[in-house]
Amino acid sequence: MKKKLKKLMITGLAAVLALSVASCGTTETATETASETESNEQTTIGFIFVGAKDDYGYNQAAYQGSVAIENEFGDQVKILRSENVPETSEATRVLEQMIQQGATILFPTSYGHLDPAIEAANNNPDCVFFHQGGLKNTDNVGTYFGTIWQAYYLAGMAAGGVTETNQLGFVASFPISQVLANINAFELGAKAVNPDVTTTVIFTGSWSDPAAQTTSATTLIDGGADVIAQHQDSTKTVIELCESRGVKSVGYHIDASELAPEGWVTAAIWNWDDLFVDMARTAIEGNFDGSIYDGMYRGGLAEGIVDLAEFGQCVPEDLQAEILEAKQAIIDGTLNPFAGEIKDQAGNVKVEAGQILTVDEVEAIDYLVEGVIGSME
Amino acid sequence: MQTKLQSIKSGGMLTGVLKWAGAIAVPIAVFAVFLLCQGVNPIETYANMITSTFGNSYGRGEVIIKSAPFILIAAATCLSSKAGLVNVGGEGQFALGALFSTAAAMFLVKDAPAVIGIAVMALAGIAGGMIWGGIAVGLKVKANMNETITTVILNYIAYELVSFMVYGPLKDPDSFNWPQTPEISEQLQLPSIVSGVNAGIIIAVIFAVAVWYVTKKTRWGYKLKVIGSNPLAAVHAGYNVGKTQVIAMLISGGMSGLAGMLEIAGVEMRLRQTTGSNYGYLGFLAAWMAWNNPLAAIITAFIMGFLFISGNVLEMSSGLPSSTVRILMSIVLLAILWKGKGDKK
Amino acid sequence: MMIETLLSGAIGSGTSVLYAINGEIFSERVGVINLGMEGCMIVGALAAYAGAYAAGNPWIGVLCAMAAGGVIAAMHAYLVISRKSNQLATGLTLMFFGLGIAAFFGRNYVSASVTGFQKIPVPLLSSIPIIGNALFNQDALTYLSYFLTPALWLLLFRTKFGMRLRGTGEDENVVYAYGVNPTVMRYIGVIAGGMLSAVGGAQLSIAYTHTWIEGMTSGRGVVAVALVVLAGWSPSKALIGAYIFGGAQALQTILQQQGVNISPFLLLMLPYVFTLVALFVASRRQKQSMPAELKKVIESSSG
Repeated sequence: MKKKLKKLMITGLAAVLALSVASCGTTETATETASETESNEQTTIGFIFVGAKDDYGYNQAAYQGSVAIENEFGDQVKILRSENVPETSEATRVLEQMIQQGATILFPTSYGHLDPAIEAANNNPDCVFFHQGGLKNTDNVGTYFGTIWQAYYLAGMAAGGVTETNQLGFVASFPISQVLANINAFELGAKAVNPDVTTTVIFTGSWSDPAAQTTSATTLIDGGADVIAQHQDSTKTVIELCESRGVKSVGYHIDASELAPEGWVTAAIWNWDDLFVDMARTAIEGNFDGSIYDGMYRGGLAEGIVDLAEFGQCVPEDLQAEILEAKQAIIDGTLNPFAGEIKDQAGNVKVEAGQILTVDEVEAIDYLVEGVIGSME
Repeated sequence: MQTKLQSIKSGGMLTGVLKWAGAIAVPIAVFAVFLLCQGVNPIETYANMITSTFGNSYGRGEVIIKSAPFILIAAATCLSSKAGLVNVGGEGQFALGALFSTAAAMFLVKDAPAVIGIAVMALAGIAGGMIWGGIAVGLKVKANMNETITTVILNYIAYELVSFMVYGPLKDPDSFNWPQTPEISEQLQLPSIVSGVNAGIIIAVIFAVAVWYVTKKTRWGYKLKVIGSNPLAAVHAGYNVGKTQVIAMLISGGMSGLAGMLEIAGVEMRLRQTTGSNYGYLGFLAAWMAWNNPLAAIITAFIMGFLFISGNVLEMSSGLPSSTVRILMSIVLLAILWKGKGDKK
Repeated sequence: MMIETLLSGAIGSGTSVLYAINGEIFSERVGVINLGMEGCMIVGALAAYAGAYAAGNPWIGVLCAMAAGGVIAAMHAYLVISRKSNQLATGLTLMFFGLGIAAFFGRNYVSASVTGFQKIPVPLLSSIPIIGNALFNQDALTYLSYFLTPALWLLLFRTKFGMRLRGTGEDENVVYAYGVNPTVMRYIGVIAGGMLSAVGGAQLSIAYTHTWIEGMTSGRGVVAVALVVLAGWSPSKALIGAYIFGGAQALQTILQQQGVNISPFLLLMLPYVFTLVALFVASRRQKQSMPAELKKVIESSSG
C-alpha cells in the first residue's frame, strides 16, 4: 500500500511538472494576450505601490492620484492596483500580469520599481510607463517626481525659527537619497534662519513601524530636540507623540495640522492629482512620445506638485512672511536650497560657493550636510 | 510515518482522496463567501486567477520560477527535520546564500567564464547558507540552545546584515545611491531553458528527490531517522548524535543558501534588501504541509507558487487589498493542516 | 539623562513583548508552542484600536483585543490539540492569517485617531531620580503588567489550577489521575496565552504608539517565543527578556542620537544579537526547564 501511494504521488508530480514545463514551450507572448483583451474605448491603467495604499503617507498620496484619474475619466479608464509590491523582479512580474489584464499605461510608484519597470517596458514596447522618482528613462518609460526638498527647506526655516534649544530631530526611515535630500534641505533651511541649529537624525529601518517611531522620537525629545521632523510613511504617530510631549512637529506627505493644534509647525506635502490626470490624458490620447513626460519630468513648488502646508499657531507672523518670501524666490528661481557653499558632516566642501546642485544630483545625494548629527552607513 | 502509512486499510484510500478534496474545496468555498461579502464575483475571480496564470506561457513560467526556491528550501527543511531539527531559518540561510553568491559574483568571478563563475557562485551561496545554519546547530550542540529559536532570531540578523551590505560595501556605484548591488556579469546569469524558466526548478527537484532518496534508502538516512525519532536510542546505538545533526543542518543550510544563489543568478541578477523575503517561511510551510516528505513537498511548494503568482491577479481583478491574498493563502494552508495526515487511525 | 531614556525606552517598547512572553509561557506550559503569537498580537492591536475608537474607552479596546487574540489562539488550539496538526506549521500559518485579516479589516483605522491610554505619573514615585520617570510615568497597561507578572507567577506556581496547567505540560497521565481533563487544560492554556499576547498588541496600538497600521507588531510576537526560553518558562523572569529586548531597541536609537559612527543597520541588529547572547548566557547557567510535553513536540519533529 505504501508503495502504491508513493508511486501515485510521483506519477502525479511528474505529470504536473511535465505539463507545465511542456506548455512553456508554446510561443504566445504576454503582449498578444494584452491586445486581445483590450476593449475598444476603455484604457486600462495599472498602478503598483510598494506599501499599503492606506498608509496615510507616500503610497496613499500616489493612490489618491490614481483615484483622481478614475474620477476624471470615469468609464473611459479601468484602474488595476497592486499593493505591497517588493522592489525586486516581483515588480516586473506584477507589471507583466497587469499588461496581460489589458493595461497599456503603467505607474510603478516607488523608486525601487525602476529597473523592474524598465525590464517590463522593454518586453512591452507598446505600453507607456510613468515611473515615480526614477533617474533613468527609456523610449516608453518616462519618470516624474516632485522636488519635495524645496518644501522641506521651507519647513526647515520654520523649524529653525521656532526652536528654543537649537536642536531639531528627524525621524527617518532608510538612508536613501530621497530621504537624505529631505534631511539636508531641512537642516539647510533651518540654518538659513538660525546658524546655530543642528538636526539629529535617527533611522528606524522601516517605512512604518510605529513603535520604532515612538522610541526614536522619544529619544530625540529626551535628548533635547524641541522640533521633530520626519520621513516616514504614516506621520501620525510622531506628530501625536510630539503634541503629548509638548514639543513641536513637522509633518510630511499630507497636512496633518489637526493632529497637533499646539505644536504643529508645517509640512512638506504632495499634490499629485493634476499631474497624474495630465500624464494619463497624454498617454490615453497617444501623445506620450515627445511630450514633457517622455523623459524625466520634475515639478516643484512652481508647478504646484509639492507645497508647504498651513503654518501652525506657533510660527510667528514675521517668520511666516520670511518663509513665504523664500517660497516665492524658489518659484521665481532666484533661490535654490542646494546652492553652495555646502559642506558634508566631515566638513568637506561638497558644493562650491556659486554652484548649484542639479535636480539629478540632489536625487542621488549620498551624504549628510554639516550640522546633521547621525550616521548613514 | 512508516507504521502509519502501512496501517492504511483498503478503502482508506478513498477517504483519503475525499479528505484531500475537502481540504481543497472548503477553503475555496470559504474564500468565495468572503469575496461575495466584499461584493466581488468569486467565480469570475477564480476563473481569472487560473486562466491568467496557467492560460499563457508567461504565467506558467512564473509559477515554476517561483516554486523553485520554495521546493529547495522545503527539501532543506525536510532533511534537517529527519534529524530532529526544526530549521525555521530557511529565510536567513537563503539571504546569506544570496549575499555570498552576489559578493562572489562581484569580486571573485566577475570576468570568469560561465562554468567556473557559476560554480563559484553556487559554492559561495552554499557556504553562506551553511554558515548561518552552522551557527544555529553549533549553538544547539555546544550550548544546548533550541534551534527553532535561534534560527528565527538569525533570520532577523540576516535581514539587517543584507541591508547593511547593500547600503554599504556592496552598493552599486552607478545606481544613483539606491541600495542595490550591481547586476552580476552577463555570463554568470543562468540562461533561460524555456520561456524564461531557468535551470533552478530542475536543480530544486533533483535536490528534493535526492533528499528523499538519502533519507529513505541509505544507511545515513536511517541513522538520521533514528536520531530524529528517538535520540536516546541513537545514543545507545552508539551514534554520534551531535555530529550527525551538525552535518544534516549544514547540508540543509547549504541547500537554502543554494536557493538564494539560484534566485540571484537565475531571477534577480542583483541583490536588494527585500530579495526573497518570506521565501524561507513559505518553504518551511511547504515542508510541514507535506509532513516533511520531500516529494510531497514539491507539490505543496508548487501550490504556494501558484497562490503567490495568482494572488496578484486576484488583487487586480477584485480591487481588494493585497492582504486578501495572504488571507486566501492562509485559509488554504489551514485547511490542509486541518485535514491532518489523512492516514490516522 | 541617557540612562533615564534607556530605562523608559526599555519599558516602553518592552511591555508589549512582556505580555506576549507571558502569553507564550501559558501556552508552552500546557505543552503547546504557539508561533502564531505574532498573529494574536496583531489582531489584538487592531481590535483594541477599533474597540477604543468605537466605544471611546480604551478598556473596551482591551476586551476586544482579548476576544480577538483568543479566537486566533482557539484556532491554534483546535488544530493542534483536536486535529493533531503540526504546532510550528500551524502557528506560522496563523501568523500569516492574523497579519492578513488585521491588514484587511484595519484599513479604515489607519487614519483614525483614538485617545487610548495616556501616561499617568504616579505622585511622588515618578519624581524619584533616574528611575522614577521611567517606571512611574507610564500608561495603565504598563502598570497592569507590573502587577500581572507576579500575579501570573502566583497563579502558575501557587494555585491548584496552576499546578494542573503545568501538570498538563509535564505529564498528562498524572493530571488524568487527578480527574482533570488535560485536553480542557490545554485549550485553556493556549487561549489564555493568546489573550495575554493580544493585550500586548493592545499596549502597542492604544497605549505606546496610539496608531494602527498593518504589520505594526513587526516580529515582536516571534521574538517573544524566543524569549520564553530565556525566561525559563516562568513569568518571574519574563521581565528580563522583555526589557533586554526593549532596552536594546532604545539603546540603538540612543546610539544613533549620539551620532555614533556605526551603520544604522548594524545598530538595528542589536535587539536580536542581544537576544541571542542572552539566550546563550542563560543556556550556560540554567538547566533547561522546558515542559516535558513541549520537549516531545519539539523533538518529535521527524514527521
